[in-house]
Amino acid sequence: MRLFEEARQRAAEYETRRHFLKQCTSGLGGIALGSLFGCNPFSDSTGQVLTAAPINRNPLAPAAPHFAPQAKRVIYLHMAGAPSQLELFDYKPELAKLHGLDCPQSLLEGKRFAFIQGVPKMLGPQAKFAPRGESGTMVSDLLPYFHEVVDEAAIIKTLHTDEFNHAPAQLLVQTGSARLGRPSMGSWVTYGLGSENDNLPGFIVLVSGGNTPSAGKSVWGSGFLPTIYQGVQCRSEGDPVLYVSNPEGMNRDLRRKSLDAINRINEDEYQEMGDPETLTRISQYEMAFRMQISVPEIMDISKEPDYIHQMYGTEPGKASFANNCLLARRLSERGVRFIQLYDWGWDTHGSSKDGAIEHGFRDKCKQTDQPVAALIKDLKQRGLLEETLVVWGGEFGRTPMQENRNGREMPFMGRDHHTEAFSMWMAGGGVKGGISYGETDEIGYYGIKDRVHIHDLQATILHQMGMHHEQLTYHFQGRDFRLTDVAGKVVKDILA
Amino acid sequence: MSGRSALRQKTKYLILLAVIILLASTYLVWDNGVFTEHKVDFNAEIRPIINKKCITCHGGVKRSGEFSLLFRSDALSPNESGKRAIVPGSVEESEMIRRINHHDPEERMPPEGDPLPPEEIELLTRWIEQGAQWEDHWAYVKLEPIDPPAVETDWVANDIDKFIFKQLQVGELLPSPRADKATLLRRVSLDLTGLPPTPAELDAFLADSSANAYENVVDQLLASPKYGERWTAMWMDLARYADSKGYEKDGPRNMWKYRDWLINAFNEDKPFDQFTIEQLAGDLLPNPTEEQMIATAFHRNTMNNDEGGTDDEEFRVASVIDRTNTTWDVWQATTMSCVQCHSHPYDPIRHEEYYQFYAFLNNSSDADVPSEAPNLRQFKKEEDRKKLEEVKNWVITHTASADDKLEKAQELIHMVKFTEPKVHPKHYKKVTNGALADGKFLEADNGGYAMIPNYLLDGKNQIILSYAANKSLGSIEFRKDSPDGELLADWHVQKMEGGFNKTIIPIKPTTGRHDVYMVFRSPAGVGRTCKIEWVLFNKALPGEDQVQYPEVKQKFISLLNTREVDETPVMIERPEYFSRKTHVFVRGNWLVDGEEVQPDVPQSLPALPEGAPRNRLGMAQWMVSTENPLTARVAVNRFWAQLFGRGIVETIEDFGTQGAKPTHPELLDWLAMQLMHEYDWSIKSLLKEIVMSATYQQSSKITPELQELDPANQWLARGPRVRLSAEQNRDQALAVSGLLSDKMHGPSVMPPQPEGLWQVVYSGMEWETSEGEDKHRRGLYTYWRRTSPYPSMIAFDSPSREFCVTRRIPTNTPLQALVSLNDPVFMEAARSLAQRMINEGGDTTEERIASGYKMAMVKPIDAKKKEALLTLYQEAIQYYQENPEETAKMAGEDNQQLAALAIVANAMMNLDEFVTKG
Repeated sequence: MRLFEEARQRAAEYETRRHFLKQCTSGLGGIALGSLFGCNPFSDSTGQVLTAAPINRNPLAPAAPHFAPQAKRVIYLHMAGAPSQLELFDYKPELAKLHGLDCPQSLLEGKRFAFIQGVPKMLGPQAKFAPRGESGTMVSDLLPYFHEVVDEAAIIKTLHTDEFNHAPAQLLVQTGSARLGRPSMGSWVTYGLGSENDNLPGFIVLVSGGNTPSAGKSVWGSGFLPTIYQGVQCRSEGDPVLYVSNPEGMNRDLRRKSLDAINRINEDEYQEMGDPETLTRISQYEMAFRMQISVPEIMDISKEPDYIHQMYGTEPGKASFANNCLLARRLSERGVRFIQLYDWGWDTHGSSKDGAIEHGFRDKCKQTDQPVAALIKDLKQRGLLEETLVVWGGEFGRTPMQENRNGREMPFMGRDHHTEAFSMWMAGGGVKGGISYGETDEIGYYGIKDRVHIHDLQATILHQMGMHHEQLTYHFQGRDFRLTDVAGKVVKDILA
Repeated sequence: MSGRSALRQKTKYLILLAVIILLASTYLVWDNGVFTEHKVDFNAEIRPIINKKCITCHGGVKRSGEFSLLFRSDALSPNESGKRAIVPGSVEESEMIRRINHHDPEERMPPEGDPLPPEEIELLTRWIEQGAQWEDHWAYVKLEPIDPPAVETDWVANDIDKFIFKQLQVGELLPSPRADKATLLRRVSLDLTGLPPTPAELDAFLADSSANAYENVVDQLLASPKYGERWTAMWMDLARYADSKGYEKDGPRNMWKYRDWLINAFNEDKPFDQFTIEQLAGDLLPNPTEEQMIATAFHRNTMNNDEGGTDDEEFRVASVIDRTNTTWDVWQATTMSCVQCHSHPYDPIRHEEYYQFYAFLNNSSDADVPSEAPNLRQFKKEEDRKKLEEVKNWVITHTASADDKLEKAQELIHMVKFTEPKVHPKHYKKVTNGALADGKFLEADNGGYAMIPNYLLDGKNQIILSYAANKSLGSIEFRKDSPDGELLADWHVQKMEGGFNKTIIPIKPTTGRHDVYMVFRSPAGVGRTCKIEWVLFNKALPGEDQVQYPEVKQKFISLLNTREVDETPVMIERPEYFSRKTHVFVRGNWLVDGEEVQPDVPQSLPALPEGAPRNRLGMAQWMVSTENPLTARVAVNRFWAQLFGRGIVETIEDFGTQGAKPTHPELLDWLAMQLMHEYDWSIKSLLKEIVMSATYQQSSKITPELQELDPANQWLARGPRVRLSAEQNRDQALAVSGLLSDKMHGPSVMPPQPEGLWQVVYSGMEWETSEGEDKHRRGLYTYWRRTSPYPSMIAFDSPSREFCVTRRIPTNTPLQALVSLNDPVFMEAARSLAQRMINEGGDTTEERIASGYKMAMVKPIDAKKKEALLTLYQEAIQYYQENPEETAKMAGEDNQQLAALAIVANAMMNLDEFVTKG
């Protein structure tokens, strides 16, 4: 047994050394991380690396945040394709009066849209609004279940972004940059805080709606951070994690025996060659073996009681957003640090029935409303909500105008991509409940009070996790990078 | 305490004593019998202080108080307060000295933290007294001839070892003994060809006791075609090679011919200078061959955004920025990307110099269009190649002047192969009653128009138009200088099947530069009838009065339209009348133009070689000029790192002042000089020198003492021990199991991967698992889709290749274990190895296991390992006896021995020694 302990220890040391090497090669990175792990000094006065000595930190071991956190983990519900704020959270009675009129030129000048050309018509809200919950927050009738948890949520109505195409906008939300190649938010968080579970990855991704998001797997990639921080996609069909199942014709006992043989020989190899990497390998094989149990077990929701299934609307064995919401709760219970759900199918241009405000969009609301509300309630009844930050939103908003692709009339009601104002909400994890933040103009086109940029949202999420977004940096290509690029301020007013 | 440790202890005291004496003597040194004042060494003593304590605020980004220490000229200039921080020779006048000594913490520099320690203040003061001389950072210092040091040892096999040994002596380390022959053979085979040796090769090597047995093996490996594949795999990361375009749609790209060019270039040992020039500027060489054109695809590996509504210019600019950064990453190990927005924070490169260099790369014809034009079109069919020959002969025959014949023939071939220089819709102006469909293709209503600005029409008498039309309705008028200007041509839209097609439209000859208006006409109620992809003006084929002319013209058009071509994106320079201007982007924002700049290289490096053209070719020649201090150093370090797992400069990606220092600076310079002057840039010669060194041939055993003294093996008192790369890992498993195909070249293949990974929106692309031997090709032939790369490669640290990654950081994760334990590809290999054990390994289980081990590890098995594997075999046999239904699932047939041996083979292929090059 001693050898295994030694292996774990060595693994931790070895991993960290590399990690550390990168960090200490520069002044700024060194300072930022110095506060995290006590950056010391296998470097000479130039900050250049002289030797590589081991330090005691597994890259995924829990690490101290910059300050006391409000949230221990994040569940991020990304509605890929971008839902319309005007049918859900941003109540605009004035827009209803303008329905069918030409859009004023002043809103079109100097603007670029993905598809709108020429002069589009205004499109009134296609849902009924009323005050909900004790707080009396205005929410439309498309989200009846959400009404029951509205007092837990802070709705931000003035998000804005720089990108009006799906892929770059999703990248901006999830990685802080519209170009490929940066680490995702979940990677940054696990890089900063490590994982609390030895048998599961610290950053898990669940996808529903039939497609991955437009920006592909880059939205959970680790960019220039070591790959150990990338999101691990748990799939609902096939292996939940790639290659986690034993090959056919081999059961767990036989796998154990084969690992025993591998370990015996690797131990000899270590005795002979003395390479600490060999010990790391032994411990990583053991973790793989544990994952073979823990991953399928956590992904199997069939043993959840009936009332839970009724609450979420889940059906075991099906690939659905509802199942993913329940999985998110299960992963939260096991201390997974960052749980990311992507639900595809929210792109409602009105060019097809599926993509119509009056059809497909309503279906998407129906599919997701109940499980989202169930997740909030379920977390709450387990005492997990206060330490879990739940975030809901898309990558941009929708225009107050009816889309007129290539200057033509569309067969259904639809809205084009809109960057200037859209709504998202957060709940739990130290966020005030039952409030709305920010105001948009009468038609919901621009934010006119308390605008929140995507980088501000990211700064706020990191802040709730106990990290200062300007201090969480990584040195790459000669400079320090961070999630919020060179911007971002914490939205203090929504914090409890 | 051992004798050596005691010695070490004693030396420590001696060193300490020396330091004390040195400090006490305050910078007096014994020189030729007299004490003279110690001359402060800028690089060793001053630059470290500046970089650590000053440069963050007084560098290229922040210039607090208008004071910067990046360049000497800046540092000596008066700052905001009008004072000079540094006045050479005058400590009293130097504001810097006053401020670092100041008693008031408000005034004192640095403003935060402790004051500088007295010894640093002393150094800075002396340095200013002595004239504040600046020295270049080591990497920018010109390479000079250097002799290997004299060392007294019989360990040395070649000159490399002299440098290493000298350094070992300093650290009081002794080299390790030579690795055993089997280990050495496997190491050098994996290093040079990426594949393990076969047991037969091992036996031959063991049997050869001649003095040059090892050298013969090295020569064979260098001559093997596998050599080119192995080094191509490395270069593909640098080239950010992919079979897809990137971004949202991430559609397919035809790039494999470039990969094949790399394989051939490495196998032919194309000298590194030529290798560089062809990739950066092959198109600008005189009469470039098709191969030289394909080489330029290096820089066409930038991503291309086909998403609707994107601004092609934005993404064209993103590509040029990427080319600039990649060129510097690969050849100069300089983090140029910093300089995009501001002067380099640490290294001597100014903001505007970034755009001067960018200007070299800003005049290529590519424009982020969906077709990825310009492409080299290579005809697949013999009949098309014949057609081209016929049209060419026609041009030669019918060109009147004998002097022009060749030139006209070349123009024709250029037109057919590249269809350049075309004008894409994004460059059209005044689009009226029309639009760019998807932001890319021009269409317009009746009476709508668009204008091609300022086009030189001298000698042009026809238009080649690429268009798509579903109906033969409507027309396009080409008019001079205004929508109702002189009619140059009136073309009636012709329906064409199958996407974009090219047609020829004769125009009225005219001279000078003109705006050309395309005015769309269509009958009422019909709408838009035609989409335009691009327009090109040129001169018709000669011999128009000949009877056969229509037939020849038809051949020409069919050559433009045939889809039976391999199209490879290449670099082509825009002609002079069409060239782009380059401006500084203010703070890196492409929408904010600053001053215009001309192509040039940064001043802190040597100027362009004399006579070199001020274009991409000149830039490439500059890169490989023997005056360039970085190129050869960076190259030898890169190859060194591939063999030793670590560079002489550890940060192979950064030779700047924030990178690591070389552990063996003289060796680095010596190797760089050898590469340029002795090996004539031959990479094979360089690699041979390295692997022939005693340093390389050492055992990689890590003693506790070595682990303590040199855990990272930077002083090389032992041989390299590193995990195999993603490609080697796959190739080795296939090789030892006998599955590996030795087929070379050709389009990328799709080996089995789990279902459902390519669920990507807006794309009909599917992973269609390859058939036959294409299932088992080497890793570098695997189809590389950027948004969903092959999963087992990613698990073993392959980058996704969106951008150039010059160093893979190796990890050791449970996900890797899951791949090599459970991936069906690895299980298939295990089964196949088990079959080989039965077929070739003898009759007893013991013999079979021993022979399987030898096939996998290429060395004999020892008793303990055999015992462990035999136990596993017996456990597995028992399992299959108790669970007979499992046998066929594992073995593919009802064969318990095969199933149990597959379990054993799977274990072997997960051993540390298997995934490690030891």
